[in-house]
Amino acid sequence: MDWQALQVSDGPKLRTIYLNQPDMNAFCKNGISTAKYSMWSFLPRYLYLQFSKTANAFFLFISILQQIPGISPTGKYTTLCPLLIILAISAIKEIIEDYNRHLADRLINTKSTVVLRQETWQSIMWEEVKVGDIVKSTDEQLMPADMVLISSSEPHVTCYIATSNLDGETNLKIRQALLETAKMQTEKELSELSGKIECEGPNCHFNSFIGTLHLNDESMIPIGPDQILLRGTQLKNTQWIIGIVIYTGSETKIMQNLVTSPLKRSEVDKVTNVQILLLFLMLLVMSLVSCLGALVWNDKYGENIWYLKNKDSKPSSFGYDLLVFIILYHNLIPISLLVTLEIVKYIQALFINWDEDMHYKEKDLYAMARTSTLNEELGQVKYLFSDKTGTLTCNIMTFKKCSIAGVIYGNQSDTNDDSTENLGQFPSPVTPSFEFNDPTLLMNLENNHPTKEYIVEFLTLLSVCHTVVPERHGKDIIYQASSPDEAALVKGAKKLGFVFKTRMPYSVTIEAMGEEFTFEILNVLEFSSNRKRMSVIVRTPMGKLKLYCKGADTVIYERLSENSLFMQETLVHMEHFAKEGLRTLCIAYADLKELEYQEWLMKYKRASTVMLDRTENLEECYDSIEKEFLLLGATAIEDRLQNGVPETITSLLNANIKIWVLTGDKPETAINIAFACKLLSSQMPRILLNTNSLEATQQAINQNCQDLGTFLGKENDLALIIDGETLNYALDSEIKRKFLSLALSCKAVLCCRVSPLQKAEIVSLVKKHVHAITLAIGDGANDVGMIQTAHVGVGISGNEGMQATNNSDYAIAQFSYLEKLLLVHGVWNYFRVTKCILYCFYKNVVLYVIELWFAFINGFSGQIIYERWCISLYNVIFTSLPPLTLGIFEQCCSQESLLRYPQLYTISQAAEIFSTQVFWFQCVHALIHSFILFWMTSKMLEHDMVLQGGHTTSYLFLGNFIYTYVVVTVCLKAGLDTLSWNKLSHLAIWGSIAIWLVFFTIYSYFWPTIPIAPEMTRQANMVMICPHFWLGFFMIPTACLIQNVMWKLIQNTYKKSFLEEIREMESRRTRDLSAPQVLTKRMEGSLPNSLSSQPCEIVFQDDSVQQNTPYGYSFSQIEGTKITQEELIRCYDTSKNQSKKHSNIDHLDVIYE
Amino acid sequence: MELAYRTKRTAMQKTSQSSPSRRPDNTAYKQQQLPACRVQLTASRVLLCFFATGLSCLAMGIVLLLSAKGIQEVEINYTETCADCAALRENADNFDKECSCSIPFNIPQAMQGDVYMFYKLYGFYQNLYQYVLSRSNIQLVGTDVKHTDGCDPFATLNGTPIAPCGAIANSMFNDTIILSYNFNSSEDIKVPMLNQGIAWWTDKYVKFQNPSFNDLPSAFEGTVKPPSWSQPAYELDADTPENNGFTNDAFIVWMRTAAFPTFKKLYRRLHRTQHFTEGLPAGSYSLHITYNFPVTKFHGEKSVVLSTLTWSGGSSLFLGLAYTVTGAVTWLAFFSMMAVYVTMEKRI
Repeated sequence: MDWQALQVSDGPKLRTIYLNQPDMNAFCKNGISTAKYSMWSFLPRYLYLQFSKTANAFFLFISILQQIPGISPTGKYTTLCPLLIILAISAIKEIIEDYNRHLADRLINTKSTVVLRQETWQSIMWEEVKVGDIVKSTDEQLMPADMVLISSSEPHVTCYIATSNLDGETNLKIRQALLETAKMQTEKELSELSGKIECEGPNCHFNSFIGTLHLNDESMIPIGPDQILLRGTQLKNTQWIIGIVIYTGSETKIMQNLVTSPLKRSEVDKVTNVQILLLFLMLLVMSLVSCLGALVWNDKYGENIWYLKNKDSKPSSFGYDLLVFIILYHNLIPISLLVTLEIVKYIQALFINWDEDMHYKEKDLYAMARTSTLNEELGQVKYLFSDKTGTLTCNIMTFKKCSIAGVIYGNQSDTNDDSTENLGQFPSPVTPSFEFNDPTLLMNLENNHPTKEYIVEFLTLLSVCHTVVPERHGKDIIYQASSPDEAALVKGAKKLGFVFKTRMPYSVTIEAMGEEFTFEILNVLEFSSNRKRMSVIVRTPMGKLKLYCKGADTVIYERLSENSLFMQETLVHMEHFAKEGLRTLCIAYADLKELEYQEWLMKYKRASTVMLDRTENLEECYDSIEKEFLLLGATAIEDRLQNGVPETITSLLNANIKIWVLTGDKPETAINIAFACKLLSSQMPRILLNTNSLEATQQAINQNCQDLGTFLGKENDLALIIDGETLNYALDSEIKRKFLSLALSCKAVLCCRVSPLQKAEIVSLVKKHVHAITLAIGDGANDVGMIQTAHVGVGISGNEGMQATNNSDYAIAQFSYLEKLLLVHGVWNYFRVTKCILYCFYKNVVLYVIELWFAFINGFSGQIIYERWCISLYNVIFTSLPPLTLGIFEQCCSQESLLRYPQLYTISQAAEIFSTQVFWFQCVHALIHSFILFWMTSKMLEHDMVLQGGHTTSYLFLGNFIYTYVVVTVCLKAGLDTLSWNKLSHLAIWGSIAIWLVFFTIYSYFWPTIPIAPEMTRQANMVMICPHFWLGFFMIPTACLIQNVMWKLIQNTYKKSFLEEIREMESRRTRDLSAPQVLTKRMEGSLPNSLSSQPCEIVFQDDSVQQNTPYGYSFSQIEGTKITQEELIRCYDTSKNQSKKHSNIDHLDVIYE
Repeated sequence: MELAYRTKRTAMQKTSQSSPSRRPDNTAYKQQQLPACRVQLTASRVLLCFFATGLSCLAMGIVLLLSAKGIQEVEINYTETCADCAALRENADNFDKECSCSIPFNIPQAMQGDVYMFYKLYGFYQNLYQYVLSRSNIQLVGTDVKHTDGCDPFATLNGTPIAPCGAIANSMFNDTIILSYNFNSSEDIKVPMLNQGIAWWTDKYVKFQNPSFNDLPSAFEGTVKPPSWSQPAYELDADTPENNGFTNDAFIVWMRTAAFPTFKKLYRRLHRTQHFTEGLPAGSYSLHITYNFPVTKFHGEKSVVLSTLTWSGGSSLFLGLAYTVTGAVTWLAFFSMMAVYVTMEKRI
């Protein structure tokens, strides 16, 4: 992937920075410029960019050709002027955008910071900071450049920084200065500092730095990443720090990390380019036909034309004629198309930004279209690749339900949920109602319910058996946990009156029902994904030995003692939880005998000192004591989905979008979430691919493909679950295709434990081989690859950092906004853009093919039929508004219908309304129209007796008739294409006709006062008093358009499209409010691909296929750290004072970094 | 890349500023909720529309056809009749030899009202690119009589500018056509015709202006007449002095280049006096033509057309037919669609 390749490349040049010798440090300035242009570079750079577009270059070429004297039938400047107008419009847009960038740059560059100059602290602007400067920053300030930390206000020369601007991590990081420099704090000391810093050259790696400090004559002191403060980080909880600037401006790590996003072009854009090419071919054909015509005509009449004696004397070579005709017909290619599209898409992007439905009120975040080139692509998405954590889920765990001693609690809050989780349009903020809320549990506890004993044991277990660290904030206790599941359980217990209060190295204190109990923690039997459980061995306050365990149902049940009760009920309850997509854990305990424990302890000590295979040994050892469990019940934790996720996913599935979840998480968790968000259902068989060799993978894939048989390649109600390692093999070039076809045969695909690179690989695999539009959505830095690879990248903004957002094309605050973004904005924009493009082609073909018809009666001499400036203003003024309103305001049907019937999405998805076929269809229409317009008008005027007083007319008289009729026809055609008329559409359509008539009148009065257009002199007067003009004005456009209306009606009557039905329903609904249910029923029957799940009839041989209801177990815990959970919790003592806490927490961060 | 950084910064700013800067107003325009009329092409509406269109087109067509029927038009093609003269004119050397011929003809029915006399040329391409360009509007508007830019190949003659210059002016139609009415078998009356008021008013008074001099000949000093002309521009109309130079009506009519290779141009209009106050009475007439304009060279023809006019112009049936046909087609579509619609409804 190129985005990764870019990260690796860096210049390994060394740099030396001399302290307090500013003359010797010559590096780049600290001012940054993200702007595209400067005052001087604007014109050349802008022109270069514009003329590198083929269409613009073509028009420039034509403009140059026109300068050859005598060659141009349309004058010298008639192409240049509209081209300049169009370039000016897009220049204005560029200038506005760039001006904003300049403003933003200025804002950054003129921030002030304090720097040591001439032995005093001086406040200067950021842009004046130089390498080698000694900078003093105070709390909450942003670092102006990359610096080496010299000293700080804190006791151990430490400081805390927030790096969320860089890597998106929200926790504070600690930095510590070198002890050798810690004393340098006063101006005097600092200005006497001499020596040099040698370090690596600028690069983009945030977490690495190698340098050495040479202080005076002392030996070298190494500097590492712990001493580096990067630009963009923010000082926190520290009074001040002093640092020496090492990298400035564009050489800082944050600037080095700005990767140019790959330039994405939409599918529609590509098709449009092909169509422009086709138009160009058409132009060539027309020119060639005209050239041949000219040859034939000259051969026949050329010598006899006495009234034009140069006709045969002039060497009219074929090539010369060809150029003349190319100039004559060149307007066939719409000059204004590019700029029209630019404006249209710009405004469409603004509509996305403005949308209140995609406004996340909690954080005041609006959706943001970071590019406007892909607006219509949103309407064509076929494959959706989604990250899980932070995208589908909020990454918040809540303890929701439990089953204790065969009694289920927390169930009745269901009704509560349903009412609050409505359509997901207006996500309600997190309310306590989502959490466990069942008064019966407390009542049972207080009222001496028969199961009270179990309840107490259950809750005690929850508050004791974990590795959570409490952190006291005044009266509140905040639980720090490496596993969010555990934190949720402890929090849940706290709510129920079992408060975990203090952790000391070898004991924990809880407050249960008003009393404090201290449990001695003897051993922590670690969690691992192999064991699927974790246990603690405690000595209760009563002195009893107990083993508390929580874990997956499968592992707990096989260790239950025969005396264990409630097994059946709990199992039923767990199944119930799992169906709802809750994560379940079984809760059990065992009473240990002293002797037994002592024996085991010996074994344990031996196992923990073994050098070889220690983990296996330990696990074996754990296993030996985890037996004879007594079941207490089960917990259900909700990995809180974002608001409206299940509804959105259902809606997107109905819109025939395939959803693939790509996550770094475990398969269990992924499956769990997939159930919760209704991507999977319990009837859906799941194919699990989990192998560890290429052969095994190949075999599994082949087996599954064989089982599918004829169903392969079709969409089946199946789910494919594959993990990262297997995926590595599956993406091998040999079986890649096979794997892909298997994956495409499944309705849902979950890829678990995948690396960021694999995410991007999967996306590019689908993109390459399926020829469908892909969309990737994610929130974190690990999703950047797939966001950049996919056709459309969407970032979830506002959660953690900006990495995903900054590399995305669209940023939204919630996954559920995707529904509106795709189903409404996408569909609308697709209809708008394609209609606008087709219309632009249509209108140009209509006007300019008439020149060809005229050539047939003027001996192919190249004479134009219209006034030359009218020709060039056609695209720029007279017909410029209808495409804009089509592109900006057109709505194929209302937003409500689009959301209600996601099936409508398939229309734009299938790209039926914009293809080469449609293009030709449109061209044929345009040809017919131009033919009618020309020949009818000609026949009408042919007898030359149309004016009162017998006055005869001229060619331009005919031209003006035709031109007017063309404008009318073309504007009315825009009206026919418009499905939704608002006042602006009216203005554009009727206004354009009016503008032409007014212009025509005024223009006729130019000559001789203004020396342009002598042939137009007073044409308007004569044209408008001619009765034929008005007779034709009503008849000819009607004659043209009646066929379009007829065509549409026939289509609507015979083969009514889904869209038409919806539209009909809408218009009916406005009349009578009863929505016709018959229609709805019929509609559902006629869906493109029936999405109703059919029972799967495929017989699977492979044992990797699961068809039962899933177990709901899943648990997130960081694994594979060097330090074990036990070691970790042993170093905490939260009973001590507050100041200790800091270092402990940061210690945590350092470990996890 | 720029964008990427910008958002990063806006995020930074956002943390520092508490008030959100980007707050769009919740207007109908911005939320795309502008009241709009969703046009629905339902069968009933379209059918109604078709029916109405068809009806009005048919009605209009019939009106137009009827009014065109009331027009009388006589065309006398004199290419063949004056074959001798035509042969003479084939050779450009004979330009100074006069040739004329007479053509008797009959008008069976009186032509009521204003009668217009046109000459009609077949196969003369006034719409050729090089031909259309070959004129100097600056010269014709009277500002600079020696301005001959663009007049190639008739700009100058031996270095002296031609006035009026250009191929259009040079090829001006120069036959004289005199219409006589055979009042009673022995007496021929020359039908009084007007040679003014035949050009567009705006052409005569705006687009074409003589150079401002006291007398026309001195205004044209320093220029020569076009090579094909027998007399200079200021002597085009011997009878009416003000109808000379660039503002000569016949000249202006010619200068308005026709769109089609076969075209009519207004030549004279009937002066309704004496016997002709009601128009041209029925009877026998004759045309006396001084044949100057060569057409056989380019395989063309020429004729004289006498016609009356109505409110909508000349006698062409085309517009009326077009209306009728459009109306008929619309109705045909209406009925066939009606049939389709009814059967579809029944099936449902």
